[in-house]
Amino acid sequence: MQIYLPIAEVSVNIFLILGMGGGVGFLSGLFGVGGGFLMTPLLIFIGIPPAVAVATEANQIVASSVSGVLAHWKRGNVDIKMGVMLLVGGVIGSTFGVWLFTFLKTLGQVDLVIKLSYVIFLGVIGSLMFIESLNAMRKSKKAAPAKRRGHTGWQHSLPFKMRFRKSKLYISSILPIGVGIVVGILSAIMGVGGGFIMVPAMIYLLGMPTAVVVGTSLFQIIFVTANVTVLQAVNNFAVDVVLAMLLLFGAVIGAQFGAKAGAKLKGEQLRGLLALMVIGVCIKIGLDLTLTPDDFYTLGVAGGH
Amino acid sequence: MRKLTHALISAVALCTVTASPAQANRLDVDLSKPDVRLDVSFKGSELLLFGAKDIDADIIVVVRGPDTDTSVRLKERVAGIWVNTDEVIFEDAPTFYALAATKPVDFILPKETLNRERIGTNHLNLKTVSTPENATEEDIQNFRDGLVRNMVAKELYSAQNAEVNVVGEQLFRTSLWFPANVHVGDYTVDTYLVKNNKIALRKTTDLQVHKVGVEAEVYDFAHQHALIYGLLAIVIAVVSGWAANAVFKKRG
Repeated sequence: MQIYLPIAEVSVNIFLILGMGGGVGFLSGLFGVGGGFLMTPLLIFIGIPPAVAVATEANQIVASSVSGVLAHWKRGNVDIKMGVMLLVGGVIGSTFGVWLFTFLKTLGQVDLVIKLSYVIFLGVIGSLMFIESLNAMRKSKKAAPAKRRGHTGWQHSLPFKMRFRKSKLYISSILPIGVGIVVGILSAIMGVGGGFIMVPAMIYLLGMPTAVVVGTSLFQIIFVTANVTVLQAVNNFAVDVVLAMLLLFGAVIGAQFGAKAGAKLKGEQLRGLLALMVIGVCIKIGLDLTLTPDDFYTLGVAGGH
Repeated sequence: MRKLTHALISAVALCTVTASPAQANRLDVDLSKPDVRLDVSFKGSELLLFGAKDIDADIIVVVRGPDTDTSVRLKERVAGIWVNTDEVIFEDAPTFYALAATKPVDFILPKETLNRERIGTNHLNLKTVSTPENATEEDIQNFRDGLVRNMVAKELYSAQNAEVNVVGEQLFRTSLWFPANVHVGDYTVDTYLVKNNKIALRKTTDLQVHKVGVEAEVYDFAHQHALIYGLLAIVIAVVSGWAANAVFKKRG
């Protein structure tokens, strides 16, 4: 069954969109990532204009993150205090990131920068996570559960220390704000929620327990993507509510199943699976950059920027 | 649809029979629908153009969508990666271009006329707004061809001319296809009567491509009340996320 989308101005199959929403929603509930880094390329692949894909995806992530956060909330896995600190950094970072994005646009190479940052960040994060989770799986077979990572050196010498009860941490508030800033910049440039960068940063840099990381990451993503949705609607008229509603209908249901499935898996298994997906998307985008294109000439809208 | 077509053609036929056969250079054109409506179920639309002409004349039909400046970029390999390098911006390239004719247009009109009237995708005569330094005319032509190739791939330009069917001696018809990714705006349908390698007559019919119903309402609201639209989109998202969670909580 086909439906014509009012803003994207293309005709799409309803069940294909619902299925894509459900699949990505499942992963988002499972890993605590918004799923934007998967969904945005998928939408562009089925013919949605890139600007509409990025903007509408932000709107859809709001819904699946709300659904996911509530599921994690029940199990007490959301550290609000940590989330607020990350959000403060996120607002600063994404504001600067939007400015940087506009600057790169005037240089005419924004597409390349986006793709290169995808390849670099997905590649590095994916590989590190994959190696780490393999090691953890090997250790957990041999010995008792692995010890919590303690902080070594510089993290503890920073001022403005704060107690984060849910995360069982006593660390400087500069750390989560700093993580928020970096993730905010990257998410503005790459047009995604940034969960796939934040989740590993929270685990390895802040030393938060994996169970709390997912809920807290989703909590922060709600606000960042809501902000992006409004900015995109006002500046670019690129949010397609019909497309967003179809996607989120599939996604909110998928996210519930994802959160349940996540509760059954071990932390290192979750991280290993997420790492494999991240590496997969990285390879796909890397190939786009290096394989000979079908046509050496591409169209763009003149005067659009 | 077929019955309707035949009815229309016989109606036109009656009119033609009653008209004086000696009359020179006649051309009557009409469309099966006055506009193309983009509604929720729009999957592309076929329009029938039909008309009456002189016995010994050829017919060319050109459909053009609204013009816009269009940028074409060249990808080149730099250090193993494909990077956009040169850019050419063409002025007023049509967003839609379809061509139908009784014979290949290059056979029935001289090149100068085709260029002047912009008949055929090779004769669009696109002017540049900005070009890279040191670009030769040949380079620019490659960009021009690239634009046409990309638009043909999107079904927005027709690469070859479609057929105009002649019924009997005086009646003709052709079907015009508007794909699902067609742009809204004011279109023009030019029908040319061609005799002895010259354009004898031209009839221009206006055709509106526009959104109707829910599609139009959503589009207009998104543009006129962008902030409220954005906030509503978030409210919808939050409520759906919460509703899904509430439903699942009850089911356990």
